[in-house]
Amino acid sequence: MTENMILAENILQALAAGLLVGCLYGLMCTGLGMIFGIMRVINFAQGDLMMLGMYSTWYLFTGFGILAFMGAIIGPIVAAILAGPILFVIGYYMHKFLVAQVTGIRVAGSEGEGHYAQLILTLGIALILQNGGLIVFGSEPVSIRTPLSSSAVILGPFWGDFVEVFVNKARLVGAGVSIAVVIVLFLFVTRTRIGKALQAAADNSEAALYMGIDVDRAYHIAFGIGTAVTAIAGGLVATYYPFQPYVGLEFVIVMYAGVVLGGFGSIIGAFWGGMIIGLVQQMSTLVLPIQLQNTAIFVVFLLVIFLRPQGLFGRNVERV
Amino acid sequence: MLEIDNITAGYEGVIALNGVTVRVDEGEFVSIVGPNGAGKTTLFKVIAGTVPARSGSIRFKGEDLLKIPAHRRPHLGIAHVPEGRQVFPSLTVEDNLRLGAYTDAGRRDWDENFETIITLFPILKERRRQLAGTLSGGQQQMLAVGRGLASSPSILMLDEPSMGLAPAVADAIFESVVEARKRRNLTVLLVEQRAVEALESCDHGYVLETGRVVLSGRQSELLSDDRVRQAYLGM
Amino acid sequence: MGGSFTKSLGAFALFAAAYVALVFLAPDEYYQLMLTLVLVWAIMGISWNTLSGYSGLISFGHASFFGLGAYTVVLLQVYYGLTPWLGIPLAGFVGALAGVVIGLPTFRLRGHYFALAMLAYPLALLYIFEWLGFQEVAIPMERENPAAYLQFSDMRAYALIALALLACAFVAVRLIESSRFGMSLLAIKQNELAAEGAGIHTRKWKFYAIAASGAIAGVIGGFYAVILLVVTPPTVFGMLTSAQALIVTLFGGIGTVWGPIIGASILIPLAETLHAELGNVLPGIQGVVFGVAIVGVILIAPEGLFWKVRDLLYRRRGADAGPAYTVSDVPLIGERRHDLSGRTMLEVKGISKAFGGVQAVDDVSFTVPEGSIIGIIGPNGAGKTTLFNLLNGFQKPDKGEVLFEGENIVGLRPSAVCQRGIGRTFQVARPFTRLSVLNNVLVGAYVASADDDTALKHAREAIALVGLEGHEDRIAGGLTNIEQRLLELARALAGQPRLLFLDEILAGLGSSEVNAMIAVILRVSEAGKTILIIEHTMHAMLKLADQFVVLDHGSRVAVGKPSEVVRDPTVIEAYLGKKWANRA
Repeated sequence: MTENMILAENILQALAAGLLVGCLYGLMCTGLGMIFGIMRVINFAQGDLMMLGMYSTWYLFTGFGILAFMGAIIGPIVAAILAGPILFVIGYYMHKFLVAQVTGIRVAGSEGEGHYAQLILTLGIALILQNGGLIVFGSEPVSIRTPLSSSAVILGPFWGDFVEVFVNKARLVGAGVSIAVVIVLFLFVTRTRIGKALQAAADNSEAALYMGIDVDRAYHIAFGIGTAVTAIAGGLVATYYPFQPYVGLEFVIVMYAGVVLGGFGSIIGAFWGGMIIGLVQQMSTLVLPIQLQNTAIFVVFLLVIFLRPQGLFGRNVERV
Repeated sequence: MLEIDNITAGYEGVIALNGVTVRVDEGEFVSIVGPNGAGKTTLFKVIAGTVPARSGSIRFKGEDLLKIPAHRRPHLGIAHVPEGRQVFPSLTVEDNLRLGAYTDAGRRDWDENFETIITLFPILKERRRQLAGTLSGGQQQMLAVGRGLASSPSILMLDEPSMGLAPAVADAIFESVVEARKRRNLTVLLVEQRAVEALESCDHGYVLETGRVVLSGRQSELLSDDRVRQAYLGM
Repeated sequence: MGGSFTKSLGAFALFAAAYVALVFLAPDEYYQLMLTLVLVWAIMGISWNTLSGYSGLISFGHASFFGLGAYTVVLLQVYYGLTPWLGIPLAGFVGALAGVVIGLPTFRLRGHYFALAMLAYPLALLYIFEWLGFQEVAIPMERENPAAYLQFSDMRAYALIALALLACAFVAVRLIESSRFGMSLLAIKQNELAAEGAGIHTRKWKFYAIAASGAIAGVIGGFYAVILLVVTPPTVFGMLTSAQALIVTLFGGIGTVWGPIIGASILIPLAETLHAELGNVLPGIQGVVFGVAIVGVILIAPEGLFWKVRDLLYRRRGADAGPAYTVSDVPLIGERRHDLSGRTMLEVKGISKAFGGVQAVDDVSFTVPEGSIIGIIGPNGAGKTTLFNLLNGFQKPDKGEVLFEGENIVGLRPSAVCQRGIGRTFQVARPFTRLSVLNNVLVGAYVASADDDTALKHAREAIALVGLEGHEDRIAGGLTNIEQRLLELARALAGQPRLLFLDEILAGLGSSEVNAMIAVILRVSEAGKTILIIEHTMHAMLKLADQFVVLDHGSRVAVGKPSEVVRDPTVIEAYLGKKWANRA
């Protein structure tokens, strides 16, 4: 095998991993993007809600008989999807009783008041969830091992039997489910009455109120859905990635980078943003030491913020 | 139909409305005129529920409106066409109209209402697939009025429909409103800075200044009042 | 101001004395350490406050400065044997430098984007320091001469040093607060554009603020390294470090030096005690306490305990019921000669600006003679405010020139335009609500005053000119609409402009108030100011302006004497409407 072939194999390997991880990151970002896009709330606790999604998946899988009933292959996926409704309820009420309470509160007496209050409030919630998680779940990392976690599909061989690409099956399935969830979400938002109401509330909340839309409730729902979507992503990640209560921190920047990259406020944009982050992260391992994987994300994140704050897929019709 | 009694409201220490009383009877066209910042928009927002009243009462068809949450009020038959149009810019013209028909009555009467709207504003039919944000100011105002009509309202509240429009365009919109009123037997409540146009088509008029009604009366009384003539009609 | 400064120093002296007593009463090293940590976080909070509390730019990344400070001290001692006595001041320098380096790109962002970008720096630094192999760096023990290396066997020494550091930070911040530095930051926080328009070089002050803030954080980070002996990236660059700085401040009170002190005094002992008592059973209890504290404070007292208590006391004492302004206070001035013979003060040449295909201002030209009042009129959306923004630097024209006394001022920052002698008021009056009338006007006076005494003199003169004398001590938040407008006019006048831009200054006024305001504007004109005024409605302007410039859809459609302009068919067609003409 020549050096070129090794290089080609490495690149293809990283590309494949990047695409798959990118789908999962895309799903996470879609959840956060929905919350930001509709309410302009920066939710700091998104990573920690995802952590709850991971633990929900784990408990559903091991504790509620899904393992026994569905088996070790389908089980974790079903559990991850079921984590969605659970986190929807948590997100809905978290918004209703906490986040929505501070809309319009002035904090720091500066412009953009209410948003800062929400930002800081979600920071508080994040601290409670992380550390509360430590109390409830313990600090020992857990993982959902399935037969898929340690098996791979082999692509290739290319270039006369030498170059092969291994694709982790758990990631592959996760990526497939992610795409399906994003499609369902997209159809929900663009085709249903509630979805339209959410879009209207996002576009102009005051006018939406004049249409007779219960904007408060629309916001709770949007927050719930955003939480649920990220939680499902978390559940899928959990099938190949060990986690502990602080896992949210590792992903919160991934999510923000993706959403900023995709352009705040665009669901599909957020998905592509997450996809790009996944690719950057995996491809960066070709040139950077593995510890700096996440630093590469920060660099991309900062570059995007500075060069194109409206994001790569920002809306054409800018709202004031 | 709509009785606004002694309403006081304001923002952060500044009083925007100070004991305003306005009465709108069924089928009437009532105009409220006054300079920028007189409190006209605040009054509309109190009726719509987006600004809370500090004191006073509003009754709509006998019901205590202030006890009803803002998002329920359109379902009672109150259509608010807000200042500055406020269309949904990233949705299509048709989606905007369909959101106007979010009320039960609006959904029921959709076909009929849509017919009326496109008769009044044929351009909206032409542009129905276009994003509302890409329409011109005048077209957006037509869309906003159309969106209001789509809810099958019993009262149509128009907040400065002429804002930012050339007089000819504004005139066309005023005429469409008069036409719509005739067709649907609508009650209309209009606030305007353009006193001439607003008073021309009304039955009753009010003059609002620094949050107070300083003058009110039938159209003919107002048009012949010296103060109105001097301060608002430029004579 | 001097009085309140001395008073707060007295209060701090009392606090310090009580604290020293507490340190000596503390039963063991554990409590002494806790008392030291309270001071560490109080100082860290003060650092955060210096940037975010005063300027309103919320930072989630103060751990950057803290961590860099800590590593500066540790690495210098490990590799070069440098004592922390020198290392800590150097850490302050590193922190300030980091502030400037981070501020350089990040100040281009606002709001959310600023907050998010700040979050990324410490997390990136965390990974970089791990990668560099500094996972765990211990301070070497110096047995020879421990005191020379800031190593004491008596924990109380550290508490006293921390108290001394806090005293320095306290005095520094109080000095900042009461100077034009602090005033400028407050103005930026309340309304950055208005501040810039009042002649405040916002970018410069933001850099000062982040450098000061970074320096304080660097120093205390360095000190923290010394008391903990071991530095790891997560402890100094971690999310909790940034969060704790923010939380103690918000909890205690944002924008006051007492806030972080109060916040740290309550939260740190609470969290530490719970951690010590329950840490085995409930491992994350500290974080939960901070989380609950911040959620609670945002819900109940969003600006912190200090302000909540102060507002309660203030309300009990009753708001200061100064005499309300009455319209009749203003003496009217006789008939105005419409004199346009002055030399040209401002010349606008073919200025244009488009936003995404919409031509907001299209090739507009006109001149403003010295001593005149020129009225720019036109319907809503005609481009009047955009034109103002182009003239005084808030937006850059696509083409065209603006000559002020012969000098092209296109491309200057608004604060620089203001320094040249052009003042402006805004369409929506934005007083600094917590400040008194006098301090509001003072903010506007700094631009043209070399020292604070001159500023005070200019402020008082401006207040007198608009007729707000006797209202100086009222809090701006309680002013009526016309008073706020007059206040804003005074703020603009205090900057000693020769040319004054007034943006819809009559909006929201009743007819009698309009007349009063007109009288004030005429008086300002008599005092030698040249005035350019935007108005939406025609009637009031007929009494005021010497000449009209009529805009419609961004273009100048007419220029001329008011009486001629209202009969101009193009003006009637574009702006007044044919019904107006029919009646006139």
